[in-house]
Amino acid sequence: MSAATGLAGLRRYTPFAVGSLQTMLRYRSTFVVNAVTATTAVSLQVFLWRAVYNGDSGSGPGGFDRAGITTYVLLAQVLGLLHANRVDEEVSGEIQRGDIAVSLIRPVSYPLTRFCAGVPVSLVNVALVGGPVVLLYAGLLPLQRPGVGGVLLFTASSLLAMVIAFEVNLLVGLAGFATTNIWGIRIVKDCVVALLAGQVVPISLMPGPLAGAARLLPFAGLVDSPLRLLLGEYRGAGAAAGILAGQAAWTGAMTLLTALAWRRAVRRVEVLGG
Amino acid sequence: MIVAEDLVKEFTVHDRRPGLAGSLSTLFSRRHRVVRAVSGVSFAIPEGTKVAYIGSNGAGKSTTIKMLTGIMRPTSGTCRVAGLDPHRERGRNAANIGVVFGQRSQLWWDLPVLDSFRILRRIYEIPDPVYHRNMATYEELLDLGALGTTPVRQLSLGQRMRAEVAASLLHDPAVVFLDEPTIGLDLVLKEAVRELVNRASQQLGTTVMLTSHDIGDITAICDQVLVVDHGTVVHQGTMQELLRSADTRAVLFDHSGAVPPERAIALIEAGLDAVRATAAEGGRIKVEYPAGRWTAQQVMSFLLEHFELTDCFAPEPDLESVLRRIYASPSGSPDELQGSTA
Repeated sequence: MSAATGLAGLRRYTPFAVGSLQTMLRYRSTFVVNAVTATTAVSLQVFLWRAVYNGDSGSGPGGFDRAGITTYVLLAQVLGLLHANRVDEEVSGEIQRGDIAVSLIRPVSYPLTRFCAGVPVSLVNVALVGGPVVLLYAGLLPLQRPGVGGVLLFTASSLLAMVIAFEVNLLVGLAGFATTNIWGIRIVKDCVVALLAGQVVPISLMPGPLAGAARLLPFAGLVDSPLRLLLGEYRGAGAAAGILAGQAAWTGAMTLLTALAWRRAVRRVEVLGG
Repeated sequence: MIVAEDLVKEFTVHDRRPGLAGSLSTLFSRRHRVVRAVSGVSFAIPEGTKVAYIGSNGAGKSTTIKMLTGIMRPTSGTCRVAGLDPHRERGRNAANIGVVFGQRSQLWWDLPVLDSFRILRRIYEIPDPVYHRNMATYEELLDLGALGTTPVRQLSLGQRMRAEVAASLLHDPAVVFLDEPTIGLDLVLKEAVRELVNRASQQLGTTVMLTSHDIGDITAICDQVLVVDHGTVVHQGTMQELLRSADTRAVLFDHSGAVPPERAIALIEAGLDAVRATAAEGGRIKVEYPAGRWTAQQVMSFLLEHFELTDCFAPEPDLESVLRRIYASPSGSPDELQGSTA
């Protein structure tokens, strides 16, 4: 496939992004709820961690100072919004209602349409909920000011994180073909991700072996990697490239895994009745 | 255009035993049962044919449609739609076909209908002239413009179904599968939907495969019928052939003699055995006779001999009673039926 036909093919997917954005903007209350949830979660985390680092004027546990840990937990919540693409919920719902049948009669790739529909959800959440929350806390508390390089690395890393989050959620959603108790799996996934991504507790603060193991898993690419790059928590350009490369490798591996899972799932579609 | 050969679809279902004790025991031991929804269906539908795919509930109609549309993979056997294997070449097949599932929406639930159409236009890469021509047709027949900016979820069933059928035809598919397309529609809307499908097939030679419980849909749209029962095809041919396979015929007549209806009925039933005579409305008498036992000539000459007929007509055997007989008959009967239609 040449680049030109590839691009022409991709153009078929833009309406899914636009449609999903339109759908999302119709429900204003979602933003209000998301904003309240995010602000509450951030407040809780920020004040808890600031209490832990109370009195640490210099470098505290994990190499964070007070401004550093505040920045970390604040942005960890914003990254959480970036990962809340609702793909797991929507895919499993479609499978359970049998609406997956309708998605299968369209001349487009289902995982790709899901990705295109999920991206605007993530980005709009970050822009409309994450942005104001960051601005609010930037006005209230001292934050660590990152350099231009850090911001660039963080942006690249966050984009990879968005893809990994999509893939994790798609895999969870596809589990709907195997079990009807997707709710339980989603709860487990949320806990695993929150812990192993470094969202509740920075991975730097975990005991050595656990931190090592967590950084080998794809979940670290969701929160830990982007924030380490932003806050300069690495030694030398090589280490930064290594973090990005690890994320990229997991993005590739997860893409393969989801493609495989989708192929297997399609073979066993059984829509009884109706 | 559509070919199925020995198409089989089996499902594995978990057996759950009844009652609390049964539920408890299912926790520890699971029994599987294989259900054969479609067992060895074979048929060939030529291009441009409008075929009704009919069968009782649970006859495997929807499952067959799901295999032809590429949603489900056949357990064994093959099918081809416009030369493609629908499951293996799902994407390419999808570009050729249009599908309406009466019970599922393919429109974007939270968007107005016209937005869904715009999305479909991009997905199917519909050329501008085709899009504008079809939209003009929908405007004329379905009054879709009146739906405005109401999201699909707030539309009435009738409004939604009109849009669903239109959406399935928007990209000029070579084959369109309609699974209960007029479910829940009033007469006027049913008419509009039928007209839309007929117009597409007239102008573009679209092949139509329809499943419906509405006899009106079948007779208004289809020229061929494919009757499936217990997962196998028991009749394929024109509607006329199917109706001719009816095993009873009827004659209704008025007469001017002084014979009261009860006596007339007794007379007919005594004179022609295995014939059922009933009083129909307006003083008419309805005579139903088994087609194999008596010929029309025999019945008519008996009536002419005994009554002074003032009016007489023989209604076409109705599809419902033909189908009822097919569904009710045990699995041995298909051969007999096919023999009579050959």
